[in-house]
Amino acid sequence: MITTKINKRYKKWMLAAFVLLLAAGATVWYVFTEKFTDTAEVKAAFTVNAADFIKEFRQDMKAANARYSEKIIVVNGIVSEVEAVDTTANIKMVDTASGAYVIFAFQKQHLSEAKAMKAGDQVSIKGSCSNGAFSNILETEYITFKRCAVNK
Amino acid sequence: MKKTILSLALVLATGLLFAQKKTTTSAVISFDATTALDALPKAENKTVIASLDTKTGKLAFEATIKNFAFSNPRIQEHFNNKGWMDSDNFPTAGFAGTISDLSAVKFAKNGVYMVTVKGDLTLHGVTKTIEAPATITVDGTSIKAASVFGIKLADYGVDGAAIGAGKVSKEPTITVSAGF
Repeated sequence: MITTKINKRYKKWMLAAFVLLLAAGATVWYVFTEKFTDTAEVKAAFTVNAADFIKEFRQDMKAANARYSEKIIVVNGIVSEVEAVDTTANIKMVDTASGAYVIFAFQKQHLSEAKAMKAGDQVSIKGSCSNGAFSNILETEYITFKRCAVNK
Repeated sequence: MKKTILSLALVLATGLLFAQKKTTTSAVISFDATTALDALPKAENKTVIASLDTKTGKLAFEATIKNFAFSNPRIQEHFNNKGWMDSDNFPTAGFAGTISDLSAVKFAKNGVYMVTVKGDLTLHGVTKTIEAPATITVDGTSIKAASVFGIKLADYGVDGAAIGAGKVSKEPTITVSAGF
């Protein structure tokens, strides 16, 4: 009688330990295999015009970084330059008066969209805004984006 | 009048073509801090600003830390946090140096030239002098500079818990590539 009770309790503990181990394993597996969602599928937090966006960063870099950094943003504007290097291609929108610019590095699966663009195209790009900074090399402000896609 | 305009345009175009200071806003820096315990700490920044002065051999890079793109969201978050790069307080990293043996590079002749670059690397608010091997590839009007080197994170005051636990390499490999 006593042995049966101990066996039942032991089985319960074993089951609980197994469930906990399974949950821990699933969590570790999820954390280590999690990938960024395709930006094209993510809802944007802001939609902006490139010229106004650059102006906002030039006027108050700190405030603009606090507002936009690490947010998904849609930027509408005209392509100034396609910088194609090796297998990659970045899109630039430049404020011609100041030389300040916003630059978009595309997500791997959307690289062909960047390569198809050309200077003068009116485009809408969605991406993760990293931040704005001042370049001592170019002596102007710039804003960088990662994981971009064409906004459709 | 037309001849004058044409001559001026030609002079301007020639000047631009052979300008000594060349710049790009699409240089690439990647780093690999993976260990046997964790294969995730590696990332790439494809919007690095770089300049090369072919007359003086001065070479410079600027990278925004938050534009290093990881495959894993959690590792990217850790990378930018205080325990690692603290990118809110130290938003950019940079290098300013010189090609030590510039006379070995013939910018007017196609070829691959092995050089040494020496200069100051600023990371996490700390500046250290480094020296690294590099290759300069000249192909017509295109110049490509590339280098692979290692740094000690402790030298730059980067010593988060993940580094101590062996999940992030204490000496990551940095790869730099810039096309001008």
